[in-house]
Amino acid sequence: MSYYFAIIGTQDNPLFEYEFGTSKQGGDGQPRFNEQARHMNQFVVHSSLDIVEEVQWTKGDMYLKVVDKFFNNYISCFATAGNVKFLLLHQPPAATAAPSTSRSSTSIGANPTSPQTEEAIKSFFNEVYENYVKAIMSPFYKVNMEIRSPYFRQRVAAAGKKYL
Amino acid sequence: MANLPTGKPPGKDQSGLRYPSNGKTIYHRPLNRTKTAELSQASFAYLFSEMISYAQRRVTGIQDLEQRLNVQGHPLGLKLLDLLLIREPPRTQTRPLNIIALLHLIKINLWTHLFGRQADRLEKSSNPETPDEYMIVDNEPLVNAYISVPKEMSQLNCAAYVAGIIEGVCDGAGFPARVTAHSVGLQEGGGGDGGMWPGKTVFLVKFEAAVLEREALIGGKG
Amino acid sequence: MAANKASRLGEEIWKTRIDKVNAELVTLTYGTIVAQLCKDFDNDYVEVNKQLDKMGYNIGLRLIEDYLAKSNSMRRCANFRETAEMIAKVGFKIFLNITPVITNWTTDSKQFSLVFEENPLADFVELPDDGRAQDELWYSNIFCGILRGALEMVQMQVEAHFICDVLRGNDTTEMRVSLIRYIDDEMPPEDD
Repeated sequence: MSYYFAIIGTQDNPLFEYEFGTSKQGGDGQPRFNEQARHMNQFVVHSSLDIVEEVQWTKGDMYLKVVDKFFNNYISCFATAGNVKFLLLHQPPAATAAPSTSRSSTSIGANPTSPQTEEAIKSFFNEVYENYVKAIMSPFYKVNMEIRSPYFRQRVAAAGKKYL
Repeated sequence: MANLPTGKPPGKDQSGLRYPSNGKTIYHRPLNRTKTAELSQASFAYLFSEMISYAQRRVTGIQDLEQRLNVQGHPLGLKLLDLLLIREPPRTQTRPLNIIALLHLIKINLWTHLFGRQADRLEKSSNPETPDEYMIVDNEPLVNAYISVPKEMSQLNCAAYVAGIIEGVCDGAGFPARVTAHSVGLQEGGGGDGGMWPGKTVFLVKFEAAVLEREALIGGKG
Repeated sequence: MAANKASRLGEEIWKTRIDKVNAELVTLTYGTIVAQLCKDFDNDYVEVNKQLDKMGYNIGLRLIEDYLAKSNSMRRCANFRETAEMIAKVGFKIFLNITPVITNWTTDSKQFSLVFEENPLADFVELPDDGRAQDELWYSNIFCGILRGALEMVQMQVEAHFICDVLRGNDTTEMRVSLIRYIDDEMPPEDD
């Protein structure tokens, strides 16, 4: 599974981006987007924002689960209290994308909509949220500012490695 | 990672920030470490009065001053909104979807966190002309308790700072509003308890039209 | 006053005679003050340091009375070492619930350092990543002004400045305090 994670501000402006691959099932943590898909990620994530806008006013949960799908790309969303969005694009490797009955079909690395994957992404978002709140608490952080702290990036990477 | 050399931030990035080698940064501390921590009320009062007298030197009048206090409170509201919700247990960790849920978050969670008790009352404007107005009442705002306002500034209500915090919470949560603080304690006929609560303050929350339109659309449920 | 006696006094006052408030209200209020100064002075951090020191000085002038009343210590400190003990273990304790460590005395007992293991003012802070703030801004500089103002009211002229700060990437936060002179030496020490 390859992941593209983005934090989008209240003006639909990107605040943070991070690309990684699964560390589960022996994954090396490296993303496997092909060059073309890679350029599309930002676009795909952004185009899901309209759907997020609708969903977020129908339920108060922060974790909105998978909100959109674009070919083999699944978009999961977490809306913060301050209406900033965490969006995670997850793309299973093409070969295992088709449903199968093997054990791996429900595992985090293979099936983007299995309950296990849903839970894992929730844990990832929660951990990122805690670090996000730390980042925005600084008196020098203004709303919609890009998050540049290297420690923040490191914590996001660690959360990705731990859960995804 | 606990032993990173000073001056070398971790990871690939363009940041020039240096961090202590012993990891004394916000990212190494639990977010809830200071949740229930206390400092002296005096330390708040000293800082707050310095903030006001500094602001006073840079404004032209009371309205201008109150506006400035409001602006200084606003970012705190944005930050506290997320801080308060992340500290809620998972079951109640929900974004407010309607005005009432939002105002309860302010009256209960925000007030209890900042001032150790809930706000005294929540009211909706009874005037049919202003269905977009709500009032949060505090009989004895902490910010006024320790601050002596100079005589020429007797109209000033320092709770404008708190109004800014409330406004930040509203704006952040997607309910854009204007919030102003009004002293009512010394008004005649102000509900009869003016004598008992001379510092009584009403925070008038006036939502933008779009907020009421959305509210009508989603039926105000939740 | 002996070190442990000062500690006990500070603890006792903090526990019994201090009205308390949520720490984050204070932390965030200080944060908004510093952020506002940075904005007003267009990120001229040297000027921001000066402004913070000035605000602290004003606070110090008023705070000393409160301190003396709460600590009931109208008696003058016998020497500068005792003053240091009272600042760290009573002063900082009763206002901010912290006790900075006193260290690095010069042999003439006129200069010491306060090392802040904890600093509630800086709890949520990460300095701006602009290539200058970490070299120029002393985020907690208000403390220097407070000491200068408060001690001046009890006839001591001191100079105080930070020499390192964890917010700048240093391993400790340390303030240097120097006694310049006693302002009014003819005033006899009083015991009561």
